[in-house]
Amino acid sequence: MIPFVAVVSLRNQESRTFRLWIPLFLIWMLLLPVAVLLSPLIFIACLFCRVNPFRGVAVMWQILNALADTDVEVEHRSAGMSFHIL
Amino acid sequence: MNEHRRQILQMLSEGKISADEAERLISAMEAPPAFSTLSDGGSSGTGKPRPKYLRVLVDAEEGSNGAYDGPTKVNVRVPMQLLRAGVRLAGLIPAQALLRANSAMQEKGVPIDLTQIKPENLEDLVEQLNDLTVDVDQKEAGAKVKVRVFCE
Repeated sequence: MIPFVAVVSLRNQESRTFRLWIPLFLIWMLLLPVAVLLSPLIFIACLFCRVNPFRGVAVMWQILNALADTDVEVEHRSAGMSFHIL
Repeated sequence: MNEHRRQILQMLSEGKISADEAERLISAMEAPPAFSTLSDGGSSGTGKPRPKYLRVLVDAEEGSNGAYDGPTKVNVRVPMQLLRAGVRLAGLIPAQALLRANSAMQEKGVPIDLTQIKPENLEDLVEQLNDLTVDVDQKEAGAKVKVRVFCE
C-alpha cells in the first residue's frame, strides 16, 4: 500500500510544536495525470539508458510502497524535527 | 485421533476443563507453528522473527565553539522493504554508471563494488542484515558520539 499521509513535526526553542499533516494521496492524484502524460518520454529515456522501462516502473512502485512506516527524528535541546510517513 | 486430542476430550468428559477451554486447546494444537514460514513478517526458520526495520540511533553530545550545547539525538527507522527495493533499483543502474560510481568511491577510500549488487544476491544481502549490530562509541575532547545500527 502506498503511503497516504506524511506527518512533519517541528519544535522550536520555546518548545512550541508545529505539526503538519501532508496528504500524500492528493500529491499522488495530482502526479498521476502528469506521469501518464510523461510516460512516453519516460519510456524513451529508459530505452536510451538501456533500462527495461517496465522493470523500472515496477521498482519505483515498490519503493513507493516501501516508504510507509519510515520515521526520521532529530532532537536537540534547542529544536527538534520528526518526519513520519504513514 | 491423536493422543493429545484424546487427552483433551478425556479432560472435558471428566469435567476438568470446560468446552471453551477444550476448543481453545484443540485449536492451539492444530495451529501451525509460529515460525514455520519464510514469508514476510514470519521468520527465517531459525526461531528468530525476521526484522522489519533497520534502525539508526545517534546520540551526540558536543558543543559549538567549545560550549556545551546539549545532546543531539537522531532516530531513523527504515523499513527493510525499502532496502530491498533500493537494491533492486541499484540493479537497474547501467553498468557504465556503476563503474563510474565505483571509481569515484575508490577515490574516496570506499572499496565497494556496486556491480556485485545483483537481484540474485538481494535476499542474501538483506538476510545478513538481520544479525547486524554496529556500535560506535567515540569520545574526544568535548565530544561524545554514540551510534547504533541494528535491525528489529
